[in-house]
Amino acid sequence: MYPFWEGVLIHSTLYVAITSAFHVLVSHLTVAAAWFNLYIERRAVMENREELYQYLKRSALGLLVFAYVFGALAGVGIWQTTTAANPRGISTLIHNFVFFWGAEWYMFLIDVIGIIAYYYTFGRVSKQTHLRLAWILALGSTGTLSIIVGILSFKLTPGLWLQTGNSLNGFFNPTFWPQIGLRFFFMFVITAAWALFVAAGLPKGFFERAKIIRYGAGIGILGLIGGVLTWLLIYQPALPQHAWAILPSRAIPQPTFPIIYFGLIATAAGLLFAFLAPDRQRRVFALGAMVVMYGAIFGAERTREVLRKPDVIAGYISSNQLVFNDLPARNVSSEEQRLNETGMLGSLPFVPAASQIAVNPRMTFGSSDPEVAVGRVIAIQQCGSCHSISPQTELSVAGVALDLRSQAKLLQMRNLSTVDEIDAYLGGIQGFPYMHPFVGTLEERRALAKYLAEFTQLSAPQTAAQAGK
Amino acid sequence: MTEQGLTIGDMLKMMRDPLGAPFFPPALQALLVATWVLHIFFVTLALGASLFSIYAFWQQRDERARQLGRLSARLTPNALGLGIVTGIAPLLFVQTIYDPLWYTANALTGFWSVSFIFVVMGGYSLAYFFYLKGSQDRRLLFTAVISFVLLFFAGWIMHVLHGVSIRPEGWMTWYMPDGVIDTRGVTFHAYNIPRLLFLLPLQAGLSLAVVLQFSAWYLRRRGDEPAFLDWVAELGRRLGVIVSPLYALAGLGWALTEGPEFGVTLVALPLVALGAGLSGYFLWLKGKQHGPQAVLIWLAGLLVVAIVREVIRVASLARFGYSVANYPYTIDWGSVIVFAVTTVVGLAIITYLALVIYQAYATREGHISPRVERLGKVAVGMLGAWFGFFLLVGLYTLIVLN
Repeated sequence: MYPFWEGVLIHSTLYVAITSAFHVLVSHLTVAAAWFNLYIERRAVMENREELYQYLKRSALGLLVFAYVFGALAGVGIWQTTTAANPRGISTLIHNFVFFWGAEWYMFLIDVIGIIAYYYTFGRVSKQTHLRLAWILALGSTGTLSIIVGILSFKLTPGLWLQTGNSLNGFFNPTFWPQIGLRFFFMFVITAAWALFVAAGLPKGFFERAKIIRYGAGIGILGLIGGVLTWLLIYQPALPQHAWAILPSRAIPQPTFPIIYFGLIATAAGLLFAFLAPDRQRRVFALGAMVVMYGAIFGAERTREVLRKPDVIAGYISSNQLVFNDLPARNVSSEEQRLNETGMLGSLPFVPAASQIAVNPRMTFGSSDPEVAVGRVIAIQQCGSCHSISPQTELSVAGVALDLRSQAKLLQMRNLSTVDEIDAYLGGIQGFPYMHPFVGTLEERRALAKYLAEFTQLSAPQTAAQAGK
Repeated sequence: MTEQGLTIGDMLKMMRDPLGAPFFPPALQALLVATWVLHIFFVTLALGASLFSIYAFWQQRDERARQLGRLSARLTPNALGLGIVTGIAPLLFVQTIYDPLWYTANALTGFWSVSFIFVVMGGYSLAYFFYLKGSQDRRLLFTAVISFVLLFFAGWIMHVLHGVSIRPEGWMTWYMPDGVIDTRGVTFHAYNIPRLLFLLPLQAGLSLAVVLQFSAWYLRRRGDEPAFLDWVAELGRRLGVIVSPLYALAGLGWALTEGPEFGVTLVALPLVALGAGLSGYFLWLKGKQHGPQAVLIWLAGLLVVAIVREVIRVASLARFGYSVANYPYTIDWGSVIVFAVTTVVGLAIITYLALVIYQAYATREGHISPRVERLGKVAVGMLGAWFGFFLLVGLYTLIVLN
């Protein structure tokens, strides 16, 4: 167990989500833009069309400045945010896949050095050599995509790894190939928006402007159709039963699905408009499409992550960072069973014994009850990875709380306010498909209930009145 | 011994990932040290180039400095981009063999750990903005200044993370001051100013010094103005002459502060020797010019620093019985083979790309030699074949390992 970082203003997992969605947008853009640019450059070389290089140079500068380095930065950002938010989760991945990530690192290097070489050698090397650089970028970026999908999909469907412990089984897991297909198609949609953005910035009279916009929009529409079909026909059928139970549940907050559907429809409409009326395309439309897609990607990626709840690695380690199943092939034993017997307090690093916990009423909503202080420590370990467990991560903007599944609000919603009610609720929490059973002793559960009761009552004074306080 | 009965050593052992490492841990340690050298070179180069471009545009008189300032402004974001990408590799290996340290440090400093990337993004964006919009006519100098401040601050965050990671004895106190857990992660818990000075600003000066030497050598080959290039080379040499003794002093300061703390004061010897050696080297360079040799010598120096840095970490952890040599491992041949094959392909492609960049600007017209073109064909073929290999490994897994 590691120290717990709840977050500041917003919950730690929201930092992960914001960074990840940005990374997905940018990194997919680099992959598909590399292929689109390769296609354009091949035409430029084969048909000897100098004017296409103007588009390529503009696109390459944008990719160099924005996409490649920001993609890499956001990738590092995911490391930082996941490390701070859920260290044991990322640790499981790194100890399985460090060499896959190492291989991906080479592809990253190829991408970043490649885009520098690509941009700065326009007009300084032969066209054939430059075309080769375009090939390297397209292949290198596809390499990064191919590798990372194995690691991402492992979290939801570790497959045979749960028996063999072999990283290859984990990597080439049941949703690996479907997810590769899905991402490959959808990245062309992102690229289309990028191509439209770059091409729309070309001078109005530039005679290839409309053609490039048409190419881009056409490829985007094909990508969208391919992506939706892959989702319906290949990816969805590969989802495990557990994921189907999560999909309609409260674990995926509204309005996630409307945002995704709106994103798809708006993007399709925008691409169609660009295809039919390329001359009327404006940069602001493409920028709008990017923003809409960011929203849709945010929703879709978040849904993909939530589908494996309550686990970080389905069937192996839970969101609260405890290994809950044996993995004999790697000599790993479940931690939950032992902790139910010994209790959480004092049994894990950074989970102090009751005697070490001091009372600070500022941290326990004004309460001086030592049991509430103990309950706070249990809440940190058991609930904090997914829920806001204090006002620290309940930022309000214009009266709207940006909390993440605040414990207090969840309990209010279920009309639970007394210690007994909350304790009983915690005892049956595993009834929800997205929750693990409480781990620890009954005394620890009771202390947790006390802390949550205080939190709930602080957040809603009317609940305090109901509780007779 | 903590009150709960767990010693720090027990804690460190318990915190190791139960899956263990996928290869001999000392080999991963070697990779960690080697890849950090590349990372710190590019990062300090970005800082040095950034600082020089600010100076060049801030001063009014010297046109040569401004000419070089424009090149530095262009170099800053590119070096930073490479610094970021090369930083991923040590990040991977440190998590594999030093997971208890790295994860604890990041969680204890959570807010800054997460802010790090946004700080770098800001610094990078402004560096590019200044290069594209400001560096031609000395406008927008404040963007370059803010960029430098942000990048240096990012370095400070990493410095603190490392400082926290090698001081396990402070973890519980920092996490639970007065018995109450602090989940904000907003405090800079540990730092060492001589170490920071040694690793960031002074190494930035030295990275810039050798790259100025290299640039003069490189640009001379394509026939750029000799007087300007002589000035660039001499500037690099002088910078080296001034910075190297300070580097030795800061190294001594680092060794005399962290050394006694972890029982390795002897690291003063290599650090001071390195500073003194570099001082001698830059003095010796008077009237001469070194191109690639200067960079290679500096990379060797950085390797010494990387080893010293590792020795300090090892010494700190040895106090609690934690050793990389004892880290549990199971060789995971599948992923090892994927990595090894990708290393061969990756190095071929990277070599080709570096040669293309090098040759494209080595002459006025830009000419890529037939040998490099042949390497390109082979390397791209290898990259294409990599996908075949990847597919085969997938099929093998699906059919044989099922």
